[in-house]
Amino acid sequence: MMKIEVLGTGCAKCKSLAKNVEKAVAEAGVEAEIVKVESLQEIMNRGVMMTPALFIDGEAVAVGRAPSVAEIKGMLKR
Amino acid sequence: MEYLSAHVLTCLVPAFFIAGAIAALLQREAVLKYFGKDAPKWLCYSVASTSGTILAVCSCTILPIFAGIHRRGAGIGPATAFLFAGPAINLLAVVLTARVLGLELGAARIIAAVSISVLIGLIMAAIFDRGSEDEEAASCPSPSASSEFGSERPGYIPPIFVGLLVAILLAATSGLALGPKAAIVSILVLASAWLLNARFTDLEKASFFGETWWLAKRIFPLLLVGTFITGVIGYFLPVELIRIFFGASDFAACFAASLMGALLYMPTLLEVPIVGTMFGYTSGAMAPGPALSLLLAGPSMSLPNMIVIWRIIGSKRASVYISLVILLSTLMGMIYGMAAA
Repeated sequence: MMKIEVLGTGCAKCKSLAKNVEKAVAEAGVEAEIVKVESLQEIMNRGVMMTPALFIDGEAVAVGRAPSVAEIKGMLKR
Repeated sequence: MEYLSAHVLTCLVPAFFIAGAIAALLQREAVLKYFGKDAPKWLCYSVASTSGTILAVCSCTILPIFAGIHRRGAGIGPATAFLFAGPAINLLAVVLTARVLGLELGAARIIAAVSISVLIGLIMAAIFDRGSEDEEAASCPSPSASSEFGSERPGYIPPIFVGLLVAILLAATSGLALGPKAAIVSILVLASAWLLNARFTDLEKASFFGETWWLAKRIFPLLLVGTFITGVIGYFLPVELIRIFFGASDFAACFAASLMGALLYMPTLLEVPIVGTMFGYTSGAMAPGPALSLLLAGPSMSLPNMIVIWRIIGSKRASVYISLVILLSTLMGMIYGMAAA
């Protein structure tokens, strides 16, 4: 199973990314666990300075922006 | 209501497109490398005090970058410089200030914000930086960026595109006669549309328009409602009272304005109508000095944001930072008040 992490301190952009991820996962029909990482400490530990950020299986796929549903679906397929 | 008149819209619409292009098309991560431990100091401070223009499109990005610079990179000095300057020189805010409150105050806001931020950074570093941050300097993970950005395109294309958009903004708000202005604006619009179409991928185009629309959708309603409310409050605030508190550019007025700005939470851009209508800067009730003090301390600080800063850098550093912001904003207001008189 895939592990998808959405990093962000709860700003509007981060929420819209989380929504996009849920939608993309549902549309792509993949099995994935979606985790929201909201603590600034934890975000810092990843070395991420620009939120929102998206991690798939521990790997950063987007930092500092919120990819669209279509783009996330493409990332899921890889 | 004159705030929302057509000429304000002509400045905000291009500004939204610029902000959208910055967020979607520029590789902003590149800027972050100047905040590393090994970057030369002068470069670090210059970037910290000015990069808010492109990094702070959304105010919520400030705190993570601040914490990142502080803990992993260049330390407390550049971090606090960025923290202060980021929101204050945010592109939309500067454009709106210059348009609504006058070019002079807009320019004063940028210059004062940048110089205060460097001062704050240097003072904070002098007091607190012992030079030995024990944390390892991990680099910001960069996602496989080359796949999402057209890699065969020369790196200067996106900045040129943003430059074209800035030119549109300048032309649209310039004092030219309607005929030549319309001609120049339409040529620039066509040029940027061509460049966008020829040199950017569909994904980038979609994300550019998405970003622009997202910003406009979030900020316009807030600005409309906020302008209305501040207008109503301003209507009921007795002018004599404002004159007593903020009518002169002396120490008391500037200090009161900067203290008030520091405590109150002001949603993005609302500091402009707050100064303009609520306190009547445009009608002459509020003097230029306190107006600038409020614009400086206001967007950079609020109670909720003080609490977060407190937690990140500790009470001693936070209280010094907060007092520096209030004091220097007061001082800048007084200087500007003298210069304007």
